[in-house]
Amino acid sequence: MSSYKIYIPPTTLSTLKSRLENAVFPDELDDSGWAYGAPLADIKRLVARWRDGFDWRHEEQKLNAELPQFTRDIEVDGFGTLNIHYVHKKSEGGLGIPLLFVHGWPGSFLESRKIILLLTAGSGDARLPVFDVVALSLPGFGFSEGPNKTGFSFTQYAEVSHKLMLALGYTEYVTQGGDWGASITKEIARRYGGEHSKAWHINLILAGSPETQDPSSYTAFEAIEKDGLARFQEYKRSGNGYYRIQATKPQTLGYSLADSPVGLLAWIYEKLVIWTDAYPWTDDEVLTWVSIYWFSRAGPAASLRIYYEVEHAGQEVGSTNFHIPTIPLGFSHFPKELGRIPKAWYHLIGNVVFEVEHDSGGHFAAHEKPELLVGDLQKMFGKSGPAFGVVLGRNGYDG
Amino acid sequence: MSVELPFQISIPDFKLDLLRQKLALTEFPDELENTGWNYGAPLSDIKRLVARWKDGYDWKLEEAKLNQDLPQFTKDIEVNGFETLNIHYVHQESSLANAIPLLFVHGWPGSFIEVRKILPLLVQSSPQFPAFHVVALSLPGFGFSEGAHKPGFAAEQYAEVAHKLMLSLGYHEYVTQGGDWGYVITRIIAHRYGGKYSKAWHTNFPLATPLNISVNPILFLQHLFTPYTAAEKAGIERSKRFEKEGQGYFHEQSTKPQTLGYSLADSPVGLLAWIYEKLATWTDSYPWTDDEVLTWVTIFYFSRAGPAASIRIYYEFVHSANGSQPSSFKPMIPLGVSHFPEELRITPRKFVHSVGNLVFQVEHSTGGHFAAYECPDELVDDLRKMFGKRGPAFGVVPGKNGYERRIRANL
Repeated sequence: MSSYKIYIPPTTLSTLKSRLENAVFPDELDDSGWAYGAPLADIKRLVARWRDGFDWRHEEQKLNAELPQFTRDIEVDGFGTLNIHYVHKKSEGGLGIPLLFVHGWPGSFLESRKIILLLTAGSGDARLPVFDVVALSLPGFGFSEGPNKTGFSFTQYAEVSHKLMLALGYTEYVTQGGDWGASITKEIARRYGGEHSKAWHINLILAGSPETQDPSSYTAFEAIEKDGLARFQEYKRSGNGYYRIQATKPQTLGYSLADSPVGLLAWIYEKLVIWTDAYPWTDDEVLTWVSIYWFSRAGPAASLRIYYEVEHAGQEVGSTNFHIPTIPLGFSHFPKELGRIPKAWYHLIGNVVFEVEHDSGGHFAAHEKPELLVGDLQKMFGKSGPAFGVVLGRNGYDG
Repeated sequence: MSVELPFQISIPDFKLDLLRQKLALTEFPDELENTGWNYGAPLSDIKRLVARWKDGYDWKLEEAKLNQDLPQFTKDIEVNGFETLNIHYVHQESSLANAIPLLFVHGWPGSFIEVRKILPLLVQSSPQFPAFHVVALSLPGFGFSEGAHKPGFAAEQYAEVAHKLMLSLGYHEYVTQGGDWGYVITRIIAHRYGGKYSKAWHTNFPLATPLNISVNPILFLQHLFTPYTAAEKAGIERSKRFEKEGQGYFHEQSTKPQTLGYSLADSPVGLLAWIYEKLATWTDSYPWTDDEVLTWVTIFYFSRAGPAASIRIYYEFVHSANGSQPSSFKPMIPLGVSHFPEELRITPRKFVHSVGNLVFQVEHSTGGHFAAYECPDELVDDLRKMFGKRGPAFGVVPGKNGYERRIRANL
């Protein structure tokens, strides 16, 4: 294990700057707004800022100051050893509940930034549990090494995550995940649940209809469910082009994202805006997020491969019909998530003990609504919560 | 009548220098071991092509050859409800005055270059087969045609441009050949302008939807009771694989073309990979040379509207009324179909009858999506058979049957 500080060499920074200086922009159809994708005016403005004004060194220093980071070699069956980058912050006083936070795409360890202080410090209220937080960069993302062979799918992402927790001395832990993090933590719950993973909480709940149900015959949907299903259908109709290309030809797309910071910026920025609930992104926030992808250890093309691997591993993202995890499961629903499925379907995913509806927030819950998400975890794992004391000897309170 | 101006492709040196500069600074991704083509275009291919594009590939030479082989022009065409677009096209008349006027319509990631090999064959005059006058436009947003500036420029508008171009050249009656988007566009031409203007149409990409017992009862039953041929079975498997593994580009281009467009405009290697993957996987072992690929891609890179413009055709089609009900019409004019086994989607033969008034159908044993480029002899042969003296579409264009007029002796 080594402690880690992000440091992007000056040559890398100046190369990026000169690429931005040589950017060639497409045109845009008149008055097309967001209909065709990220608008030209936004991208031009962001590129200009990225080129001149955005201070990566300053952002980097802030990240290093806020997030204690480390790297550690983790061996993955069939894939050799991967050097994994992660954030690890222990609770202040009290026996923090070990919590593993797993990001997705186009996310990163950065998504733990706002929740980490709230989770570890407990906001001074002795009634609230505190946590030890571990937020890894998934292999191929952020500053973790990526696999160099095919077939690295949920099993492997779960294995890396689990082995990391064990290596940190957390033989029992809980998890929180959204986007791919939801599927990966579900895999953790399936494989390591009971003995190691003691409870899981997710904010992206997508699964197919149960095998026995014909979706068109289900008439008892509540308004919120109908609405959510419609959102999901719309996502599949007009919003999952990225998924379809990343799941089939990630290498072909990868050439663009590795070579053009503008291309990468647009590809990610579009999601940051349309997947959030009117979140007031500052340009520098966006650029920090995207810079992590541009400067990522494995390169921007590597992160796309998770889509291909999942689709080709025969492991359906939302399958409800293998072995269902029995450990306690909590959901937080945010209205601007990509979609939602009926309660009767997602309650089949696991042993639901906790569920909250919010009236604002979208896909990147930890970044958009850190207090709400942390509040949910504090309720779920707190003294009067349904998952209180799941981790032996570390219930989040003093003594 | 708008003025026809002769056109020569002439990319300025400073643009070529900028391209080479960008190529010199290419950042490549890594690649997983032993993945072949499974994840997309292989890294070694792309590296080799970039190296050649930067040093060795001579665009000026290729440009001169294109200008020599393809007589090109530009002309303004007004589009109802939109704007006037300056359209680039190839036009070559046969030496035979009453050759059949033929409009060739390309698709994506094609261009006017796809007419290159069939052009000299089609214009040939002979007592053995009909001759054609050939027009091959650059679709708006492709090649050296202007692109639309407003949303909603959909298949109907592309058809209108093509049709008006033919009229403006004095070809009030004509026939068409098209694959890929060319199929969609020439089908609309056949529907809207068929009978009076368009007299027959030929395609190598007949997209047919499954038969419906209430719409085509006889065909439906025939299909039900006719076992699939080996070719059809193989074709159905191929279609399924394409749907599952090969349509990512379609989904992104038809939903977020602008987002993708930033990459294609800013990264020559990104554009190269995006197109090269199709050139390799959509053809039937066509022995592309690196320079062939690079010429094809360079046309996109230096296209008048920029590389991001051409992909909008997908968005516009899917969002238009026609996109949601593709099979709601069946043109009456004669239809000819050539089937190439490595086409992207193979439909059972019976379904093809629902596409149009099928009078001619040929099965080939080799060839893929870019038929005019891969199998020019076969495609031209098919057109000659379809429109020839013993063919089902002989003489569809009155006074222009493609043969020498026999001088009747006055006895």
